[in-house]
Amino acid sequence: MQHVDPALIKGLTIGLGAIGPAIGMGLIGAAVVGAVGRNPEIQGRILSTAFIMIGLVDAVLAFVLLILFTTK
Amino acid sequence: MMVPFFGFDIEPLGAQQVFTLGPLAITNSMVYGLLMALIIMSILTFGARASQLWPKSKLAFWCESLVELILGLVTESFGDRKKAMKHFPMLLTLFIFILACNISGLLPGVGTITYNHVSLFRAWTTDLNATAAMAILTMATVQIYAIRTIGFKGYFEHYYTHQPWKPGNILIGSLEVYSEVLRLITLALRLFGVIYGGEALLAAIGTLAGSFGWAAMVPITLLELFFCVIQAYLFMMLSTTYLVMSTSQHEESGHEPGPVQAVAVS
Repeated sequence: MQHVDPALIKGLTIGLGAIGPAIGMGLIGAAVVGAVGRNPEIQGRILSTAFIMIGLVDAVLAFVLLILFTTK
Repeated sequence: MMVPFFGFDIEPLGAQQVFTLGPLAITNSMVYGLLMALIIMSILTFGARASQLWPKSKLAFWCESLVELILGLVTESFGDRKKAMKHFPMLLTLFIFILACNISGLLPGVGTITYNHVSLFRAWTTDLNATAAMAILTMATVQIYAIRTIGFKGYFEHYYTHQPWKPGNILIGSLEVYSEVLRLITLALRLFGVIYGGEALLAAIGTLAGSFGWAAMVPITLLELFFCVIQAYLFMMLSTTYLVMSTSQHEESGHEPGPVQAVAVS
């Protein structure tokens, strides 16, 4: 394992680490569109909840970036 | 001082000492955090001075609109204006301070102005000490208000129920206590990770694009602005949710749960 290029590992880290948050954000977006379509009168409350969920999902990608940028 | 990383120059993980004030080492994030705190305090003081029943000054109008917006969000989560007003000052302070500190990292001069070969300015929230301090403050407030509202017995029963000798209750209660510690850690790491990762990403994109770094950085900067607002909002709303969850135990008049209480698990 000593001969693996660290750039490859870093590329794999960001590539694999971005899959989960991307799927999560897509699910949130789909759910929000569906919910607003069903009852558009509480759009504000749905969107505020959706932004919280996006923030939570985004943190996962942030941890990946943190690991990526802080390892030699 | 910048750390080379595959040819990009990014800020090191920890904040660096700029000078010492007696026994206290002043780091660059402390300098910028204090500066931002002074700026916010002066702006809001001017806004509060000019506030009237019918505000004529634009600054007062915008300050009042912001406060009104946050008050609406917090009241909706608490479901009760009187309870919301009790915790509102701390939540508003957290939101405005975190938002200003997040955005301050995107201003020019951060990382380029140096003093003794150490960059003088560094956004307050890109320092893990700072976010951990704010998270500890929040969680300590939550625990103290929980004990004050529902008493020691209720606080204990919140975790271990009224039959703490049953093994199942011990297991679940310990998991609950562990999740409180986990909340503290995630609250600190989430804010730090997103803001620090974003700034490192900006540096990396700027280096990768070469001569066209200024053009490539525009969309990333807009994305970062979005995340700055989201993270400040998230920190405040999660603090609100933890407060609501821990202080509204064993109430006979069960009010409608707010919109954010569903996501309080993390």
